[in-house]
Amino acid sequence: MPILGILASSTAVAAGSFESIATTALSSAQTSVTFSSIANTWAHLQVRFIMRANTDTNVRMRLRLNGDTGSNYSIHLLEGDGSGAASFNGVSTSLTLASPVTRSSYLADTFVAGVIDLLDYKDTNKYKTVRMLAGQDLNGNANGQINLSSGVWMNTNATTSLTLLLDSSIAFAANSHFALYGIKSA
Amino acid sequence: MPTTYEPIATTTLGSATNQVDFTGISGSYTDLILVIEGLASGGTNYPYFRVGNGSIDTGTNYSRTYILGDGSSASSGRDSNTSTPTLAEFLTTSRSIITIQFQNYSNTTTYKTMIVRTSGASNKVEANVTLWRSTSAINQIRLAVSSNNFASGSTFTLYGIKAA
Amino acid sequence: MATTYEAIATVTVGAGGAATFGFTSIPATFTDLLILASVRSDRPSNSIDNGWVYFNSDTTSGNYTKRRLWGDGSAVYSATTYDLDYYCPGSTATASTFGNLYYYIPNYAGSNNKSFSVDSSQENNATIAINNFTAGLWSSSSAITSITFDLNNGSFVQHSNATLYGIKNS
Repeated sequence: MPILGILASSTAVAAGSFESIATTALSSAQTSVTFSSIANTWAHLQVRFIMRANTDTNVRMRLRLNGDTGSNYSIHLLEGDGSGAASFNGVSTSLTLASPVTRSSYLADTFVAGVIDLLDYKDTNKYKTVRMLAGQDLNGNANGQINLSSGVWMNTNATTSLTLLLDSSIAFAANSHFALYGIKSA
Repeated sequence: MPTTYEPIATTTLGSATNQVDFTGISGSYTDLILVIEGLASGGTNYPYFRVGNGSIDTGTNYSRTYILGDGSSASSGRDSNTSTPTLAEFLTTSRSIITIQFQNYSNTTTYKTMIVRTSGASNKVEANVTLWRSTSAINQIRLAVSSNNFASGSTFTLYGIKAA
Repeated sequence: MATTYEAIATVTVGAGGAATFGFTSIPATFTDLLILASVRSDRPSNSIDNGWVYFNSDTTSGNYTKRRLWGDGSAVYSATTYDLDYYCPGSTATASTFGNLYYYIPNYAGSNNKSFSVDSSQENNATIAINNFTAGLWSSSSAITSITFDLNNGSFVQHSNATLYGIKNS
């Protein structure tokens, strides 16, 4: 006999520490998504997303902070691709993070999903360390990947914008979706 | 007052069982997070999950890619065209955690990609990505085991996250 | 009025650093706990330090079980060290760089043993930096009332911090 989940009380609850800031849902292809003018209201930021490339080229999704295009980032990656586990690095890069590889010829209607956490985004004592857990399965295709990637933006400025983009200026496909959340401290 | 992160449903098992269902899940959130914590009863088991719209999809419409560490070595593998996408290995004496993130679960344009983290301190630590090849919105989730049961005291909680 | 995801306390290491830091008097009013932490060590002559959390001042090795999977930018590994949950930057890591930690502890106030999950990213602008998953178990039927962050080689530097969140299931 299956056990049914018990519905939570319908009592209204007060706003908590996890708040929605902004959402971008792509109705057509777009080469990047930027969350700008991020207020200093929270302690941490989280981006939750699904995305796919619009072009038949192997690309990964990256992150840029405050529009900084200099070689001011690093990337580290722990990845499983169904045949082996591996780890990679990038030093003094112009972007950070590394999502699973996506391209338009991969299994139709299949999107990479992930969560990005940026802690202490406004802390002027720190460079900004970001962590992402993301994955894409392609039903047996060797390019399905699950990965934990990270990076540091070597700048102590408060983060006021986040730009998500694909390698080589490839566009995100329609129906990609990005949501930014703020997390307060006590 | 609307909230961004809220509980939808929860159950704590009062006795061992082999299946837990969440039905009638509202489509008003953006993402879902399911947190499972517990033990196996009667012997080690391998929980899996299924989803559906109106009814649970029991077809071979699931697949997954995983990476795991067993305490000695790291490995990665994949399962395709399966009807039982595995979540973890539950033991009878050492508790484990499973979290499943259902991103954009209620859209009707994409297949559903789910990120799974499992933590079994006595056996395996794992992350996997599971695909349900359907563009239907998810409004039902089933957690199940093929043999043995989830132990009494195991907990299953579903949360909704609502974007702006 | 109850909230689902609520910041309970934030602790920040002050000038002079700290060997340990953490949370005490944790209320039993939530279902799960979540910790977001940003930490750095002063471990000399090393870009990496590692550490763990212990509960209710219990540092007995036999009460902790861990299983870990990590990559260092070049290779991948797995191990079972009882007092190692996460990695963070040491003194020779890129300046101003702190590790990014995520802990999830379900059913922390119940009478079962306490399982928990850790994701951590150490970071450094160099070839070697560690991304890590850990599965943990504290074998105790006691409710968790305190959580202490500790390092295995150095001390936490100023500006290291952690916020404890309560997650309520109804």
